[in-house]
Amino acid sequence: MRPDRRKFIKETICAALGGASVYSALGQMQLLQAATRATNYSFPAGDYKALVCVFMYGGNDGFNTVVPYTQSAYDALYAVGGVRPKLALARANLHPLNTTITSGDGIRYALHPSMPELANLFNGGQAAIVANVGTLVRPTTQAQYLTGTYALPPQLYSHADQAAYWQSSPPTNQPLTGWGGRIADLITSANNGATAPMLTGLNGQDAFMRGASVNGYIMNATQATELDFGYDPGGLGLQTPFAALHAGGQVNALERTFATSMNHSSSTAGVINAAVAAHDFSAYFPNASSSDLDRQLQTVAQLIYAAHQNNVAGYGGLQRQVFFVNTGGYDTHSNELAVHGQTGTPGILDLLSKSLASFYNALVSVGLQNKATAFTASDFGRSLTNNDNGTDHGWGGHHFVVGGAVQGGKFYGNGCGFASNLASPNFGLVMPSLTNPNTFDGAGHSLNLNDPGDGYGRLIPTTSVDQYGATLAKWFGLSDSDIDLVFPNMAANFSIRNLGFI
Amino acid sequence: MVCGLRLRALAGACAAVFSAAAAALSHAPDPLFHDSYEGIAAGPTTDSDAARFLAQATFGPTDADIVHLRAPATGGYLGWLNEQFAAPPTHEMDYIDWVAGLGEQVGQNNRVEAWFLGALGGPDPQNNALIHSDQLRQRVAFALSEILVISDQNTDLGLNGAAGMAYYYDILVNNAFGNYRTLLEEVTLSPAMGVYLNMMGNRRADSSQNVHPDENYGREINQLFSIGLVMLNLDGTQQLAGGQPIPTYTQDTITNFAHVLTGWNWKSCDTSGYDQFVGCYTPYSVASDYTTPMLAYETRPPLETGLPLSNYNYHDNGTHTDDTHNKQLLDYGQAGNGVLADGGTAASDLTFALDNIYNHPNVAPFICKQLIQRLVTSNPSPAYVKRVATVFDANRASPTQLKSVVQAILLDPEARYGQNADGYGKLREPLLVLTHLWRAMGAQHACGQDISGNFYNNTYRYAGYNEAWSTGNTQYSGIAQAPQDAFTVFNFFKPGFLPPGEMSTRGLLGPEFQLQTDSVLALTTNTFRGFYISYDLNDPCDPSFAPFGEVMINHSQDYALAGNVTADALVDAYNHRFMSGQMSPFMRQTLLDYLNVIDSSWGADWKMQRIDRALYLILTSPEYMVQK
Repeated sequence: MRPDRRKFIKETICAALGGASVYSALGQMQLLQAATRATNYSFPAGDYKALVCVFMYGGNDGFNTVVPYTQSAYDALYAVGGVRPKLALARANLHPLNTTITSGDGIRYALHPSMPELANLFNGGQAAIVANVGTLVRPTTQAQYLTGTYALPPQLYSHADQAAYWQSSPPTNQPLTGWGGRIADLITSANNGATAPMLTGLNGQDAFMRGASVNGYIMNATQATELDFGYDPGGLGLQTPFAALHAGGQVNALERTFATSMNHSSSTAGVINAAVAAHDFSAYFPNASSSDLDRQLQTVAQLIYAAHQNNVAGYGGLQRQVFFVNTGGYDTHSNELAVHGQTGTPGILDLLSKSLASFYNALVSVGLQNKATAFTASDFGRSLTNNDNGTDHGWGGHHFVVGGAVQGGKFYGNGCGFASNLASPNFGLVMPSLTNPNTFDGAGHSLNLNDPGDGYGRLIPTTSVDQYGATLAKWFGLSDSDIDLVFPNMAANFSIRNLGFI
Repeated sequence: MVCGLRLRALAGACAAVFSAAAAALSHAPDPLFHDSYEGIAAGPTTDSDAARFLAQATFGPTDADIVHLRAPATGGYLGWLNEQFAAPPTHEMDYIDWVAGLGEQVGQNNRVEAWFLGALGGPDPQNNALIHSDQLRQRVAFALSEILVISDQNTDLGLNGAAGMAYYYDILVNNAFGNYRTLLEEVTLSPAMGVYLNMMGNRRADSSQNVHPDENYGREINQLFSIGLVMLNLDGTQQLAGGQPIPTYTQDTITNFAHVLTGWNWKSCDTSGYDQFVGCYTPYSVASDYTTPMLAYETRPPLETGLPLSNYNYHDNGTHTDDTHNKQLLDYGQAGNGVLADGGTAASDLTFALDNIYNHPNVAPFICKQLIQRLVTSNPSPAYVKRVATVFDANRASPTQLKSVVQAILLDPEARYGQNADGYGKLREPLLVLTHLWRAMGAQHACGQDISGNFYNNTYRYAGYNEAWSTGNTQYSGIAQAPQDAFTVFNFFKPGFLPPGEMSTRGLLGPEFQLQTDSVLALTTNTFRGFYISYDLNDPCDPSFAPFGEVMINHSQDYALAGNVTADALVDAYNHRFMSGQMSPFMRQTLLDYLNVIDSSWGADWKMQRIDRALYLILTSPEYMVQK
């Protein structure tokens, strides 16, 4: 009897939900009835989509990535006596974004000097910014945070826990599945029984890629792992007896299954490497020799192309794929300006901007830019205030969604649906308040109402990871009820299910 | 992580014709004849029988082990078992304490070293005269660690809990031949488990602050550590009502357990005069707290005067407004029907809850079937499960319950003689393949240095980047498995996993297959070839190994076997040592056809070449990989 994937996912999610202490409210949630679904997913030929998660390990400082350009707001942030004078970026070097409406606050924003490519994508309508997104159990205000007993994601500001949260949502200390895996689990029927991997990670084995029944395929940045038999001089090689021993004829069912598994591993790696080699996008990834992110995204582009072309033996039938790439170095406690990139010295934001643009342009060259959506993610944002020359772990941060299907050139946010509070400029708007968090009211709480209250500027997200992911899942073709299965926390605690950026 | 991949360069050309004759030979191993009239307990009667037994009861038989088990003085299986029951336990904490005493910073690497010491056996690094030989106890502890799971993938445990996890493992070691109820209690109160599944600091409900007890441990102790999700017969088969399985508990049951399992915290939270329960979490506990059972906090002096003493009681015993009154725990028709009356203490309520779980009729089949799966075969017949579960139940109050259970598992005819050959056996886990390789090939640690506060110049510290420490889930140099390193509380694989294809169609379980995904298989196979097999103890030290050294096998122990014109002696010896004599004629001829081609024209190290390649082909073969 074929296992019911939805039932299996419900069980693993509920096992997880039953766990974390902060989910006391969710613990009340009734176990969902395990219903056998009649409808599977089926998309018309040519309807191919890929989700590409670009994870920035370390916690990227969104507040120096997307910065105010309007002079007064710029000054308030960077001038001496401002919020983060040590991290000032020269205004003349910023890349202005052509919108003042969608940020909600009348401020014109710009991207970091290292990111002209991404700014062009934004202004061209192919990239969107999701503002102040992060891990949340439920919409959270400063006042609620300050009660000390409000349900919050566990282990805030901890890299491993928050990265796991971002990728698994809902989180526990040990996430059972990632939301990339759950999406794959539910939509796998769309792939018509294709045997090539639909869930692929290119740089490690991350929680995002863990499905309840779909196995995440791990490969490295440029190729799948093939069996390495070493070198034999002329004639017989190890692979010959190896193949003989793994051919059929075993008298034991477990032996037969192992032999099949080994052969499948080999053939999968071979198929993937053939798919990678089927098209050469290297012209679009000039930094591949020095940037691992380039190499990973180039490989993803090549796999997307191969899947869509459906002319690589064994790599056919894929209509939905989920990819996970990642890069590190974002934990900028010090030397943030240099690490991000300065004039004459490219940094990680240069690489990010170029890689994302390269990925988009590569897909344009083959007309597939509408089929794939890349989205950034990170452990957390960083503190709005600065330390000596860097920032501390934060919470909410700004992220980018890139692709032809994106409703780009706009800011999206306030998934929590807060009403604007005239007492604190910017609260309840798409972009969070840039009021100096380090200013306090009579009760000693930060005047920046997006701040949790202690004034460090670890702004509380105003949009949850769940809503971010759910919006992507909707584009990807999941039904609303299946989206609820992937993001049960959102189903329970958030009313806005679609941020509208795609 | 340093990857010092060393390829064995080959010299000389060879022309060879691969014999097609091998393909015509049988894929079935020679049948094992059992014509002894004395019964199983007096066995083994052949070396193959002995090796099969040791494959189930140790971390992999060595030639010497087989000789010892066969020696008349040992007294057959029973004699060997009694030796093992009496062998002094190897404790991870002894190793951890020694490392700390050297002045090193104790971490997860040291815990893994400690595990390998127990798994590989042999001389103690601190006192070489002390020989660790408690193979069966360690093997059972490892099996228990795959049921009663904690893992260093948990952030707290990974960063701060190496000693705590070693302390936890020693609980499994100490109780491997003991009583399951005792084991369950010690596991429940261990800090590492308290951290892993959130019982640490769990507090009674307080609606004014919207606080509810955490359900994680309450759920997993039932679902994974004792009774499972559905009602079982004594033989491990599911009970059915109207054709449907019967759940063992409801969500309410779990919630009630969660309320019972409250009020326990780190020992050092007990700072007199202050209510430290709520604020006491891992970073503020004392390191030694990780190696002391959790304590119950019921009456702490109030921080503020004027508030009632009872306000600081963090255990839900049914007497506060927000408590759950007369908690309904598991009801299986027993006297009292599992209702926990109000008014107990944290300790008395815990006793009630653990007894309530332990006395559930599911425990025997649920646990015994998994122990059989971990040691002998993935698909025990219901009759086999029932025979073992009966022993479990007959010894419920005995302090040597698990000793009797383990003996019943290993001496059962289904273990000794196998069953229907087609569906019998279990896929070996990568970690157990590694321990087998290291034990059987005389692996030792070498190239370590005493430098910069590290003391790795020691033959019996099983350490190293590419070898011992890379056993975990690292992408490029791992075998996807390390002790107590699973991604989730569900271990590296679930007991009920059905591999897709023939086994799933036939309903044959294959838990270990769940770990062997496409990418893990390729990675593990390459790792074995590139590191575990190709490194040699007698090679000049690679500078990249410094200062921690590496664990390496000793190919030269088999040079005499490998050095004949044909490789028969080598293949037959490895059949004996690795495959319990069960290598099929087809496999044997396939190996010979290939290995016979390797001769001195390949260079001075041709014997090592033969050994390397024999090991690789055998350890990756379906016939070896299925332990039967």
